[in-house]
Amino acid sequence: LCVGGQAAAAGEGQSTPATCSPLCRCDEDGGADCSGRGLTSVPTGLSAFTYYLDISMNNITELPANVFRNLPYLEELRLAGNDLAFIHPEALSGLHQLKVLMLQNNQLKTVPSAALKNLNALQSLRLDANHITSVPEDSFEGLQQLRHLWLDDNSLTEVPISPLQHQSNLQALTLALNRITHIPDNAFANLSSLVVLHLHNNRIQEIGKNCFNGLDNLETLDLNFNNLKIFPEAIQMLPKLKELGFHSNNIASIPEGAFCRNSLLRTIHLFDNPLSFVGTTAFQNLSDLHSLMLRGASMMQDFPSLTGTINLESLTLTGTKIRSIPADLCEDLTVLRTVDLSYNDIEDLPSFQGCVRLQDINLQHNQIKQIDRGTFQGMTSLRVLDLSRNQIKFIHRDAFLSLSALTNLDLSLNSLASVPTAGLSALNQLKLTGNMELRNGLMSKTLPKLRSITVPYAYQCCAFVAYDSAVNPAEDDERRNAFGGEEDMERIPMVMHCSPLPGAFKPCEHLLGSWM
Amino acid sequence: GNKQVSGVSSQGCQGGCQTCSVYNGCLTCKPKLFIHLERDGMRQIGVCLASCPNGFYGTRSPDRNDCIKCGSECDSCFNRNFCLRCRAGSYLHKGKCMESCPDGLVPSDTKKECV
Repeated sequence: LCVGGQAAAAGEGQSTPATCSPLCRCDEDGGADCSGRGLTSVPTGLSAFTYYLDISMNNITELPANVFRNLPYLEELRLAGNDLAFIHPEALSGLHQLKVLMLQNNQLKTVPSAALKNLNALQSLRLDANHITSVPEDSFEGLQQLRHLWLDDNSLTEVPISPLQHQSNLQALTLALNRITHIPDNAFANLSSLVVLHLHNNRIQEIGKNCFNGLDNLETLDLNFNNLKIFPEAIQMLPKLKELGFHSNNIASIPEGAFCRNSLLRTIHLFDNPLSFVGTTAFQNLSDLHSLMLRGASMMQDFPSLTGTINLESLTLTGTKIRSIPADLCEDLTVLRTVDLSYNDIEDLPSFQGCVRLQDINLQHNQIKQIDRGTFQGMTSLRVLDLSRNQIKFIHRDAFLSLSALTNLDLSLNSLASVPTAGLSALNQLKLTGNMELRNGLMSKTLPKLRSITVPYAYQCCAFVAYDSAVNPAEDDERRNAFGGEEDMERIPMVMHCSPLPGAFKPCEHLLGSWM
Repeated sequence: GNKQVSGVSSQGCQGGCQTCSVYNGCLTCKPKLFIHLERDGMRQIGVCLASCPNGFYGTRSPDRNDCIKCGSECDSCFNRNFCLRCRAGSYLHKGKCMESCPDGLVPSDTKKECV
């Protein structure tokens, strides 16, 4: 609010012409800010042309009749954060141009339906954060222009079905943070313009199969943090749905074809559900879906079919009994950037060749036994590859040939006896801990960018630890002998992290069989 | 040595604060108020509000209420994807800000909407 010259001066406690009240700050456009001044009643002396009045964060406990009768042009009235417990039926009379009414953060126990009756121009009504337990039948009668309604953070135990039944212009509604336990069929039947519906943080256990009938334009549905036990099949009546959330519920399974009628879905939040089964056709043909995160569907055995879900960029599928990945996975998922398939039972890997944009693959904690030549062929964008905690015995020598952008490779806790390094010119971090058959030294020359390495045995760090000029000649020979007397053993002049570090009890020479 | 940052207190805090610090203003708010972080140079100052400022919307959860930024083209919004009032230069239609209106509707500069 820019501050009007005369009005501002007057606002400093002197008597003022009719344009403002000494208790407020008024601007030239008809805005009056009287917020946070400890007022116990609506200030008087405001200009008749006031269009915006903010009396929030004061101590007004009730609104008497006709208190705004001198402000016929008011369009926005802010009364949030008072202690309003009573609004006289005639308190808001005369406000025929009011568009926005903010009554949130007050002490109302019911919707002041009589007072709202003639607000024909009202578009936005905030009643959130009160103590509303009941919504009278006629609460929103007369509000033909109502588009946005906040009833969240109150004490409602059911959806106010009949009070809402005529609100065909309503576009956004929140009933979140109440005590609603169920949603009956046709609860929102006439709300054909509704685009956003928030129902999160209620106690919803069951919903009718037809409870969302009539919501032909709904794009966002938030059912997070409820007690749903069964997948909300009622969403099949929402053809325009783009954003769906039902995370933090008690849903155990997602049925076949779960989203077959919601082809416009972009985001689905379903984490923190005790999922044990996911239908293989549940996530097909969702061409606008960018991210899919499925964790802990412990009984799931088959990889979900993702045909037609062609714009998936991030796929997380962990904690299942899945044993294989479809060979044609990358035929559809050409824009995939990150894939996390850790903590499954995967044994064999297909070729990821078609997933040319893949940057991050996590296959940790599976049962993979070997890496073939073609598994990662052509993956020039791959940066991070985690294959740790598998049973890999063999990696084809050309397996990493095209991974020119790979910076992090984790092969720890496998059964490797050797590691191919061809192609790893950009590798920055390499983890090999726990490959107890890997005994010979590693060729540091083929890993020019390496900065951090973990190895099974300390002596293997000798080739990588930065050359220390204080080392006496004797130790220098000792280090050279550790690698068959290589004359031109390369000295890496940069700071390098290698563990476990050789030391007094773990000298560089490899005492056959005595290394622990 | 490390500059001693004044401790958290619940006395002498502004309006809706529950706890505050001299350096960062409100740290937590009284129940049902939104915490909004205003920028003051390098510092972030917490303030507690009954409604979020222009360009932000309020998200409520059982233990915390935050002011979150609206989409870039939006002056006031219901949530991140549903606008209530658009910035100059675009017109509101069913929660979206558009530079041109869908067929059958025309832009109204006074209302900043497609009508």
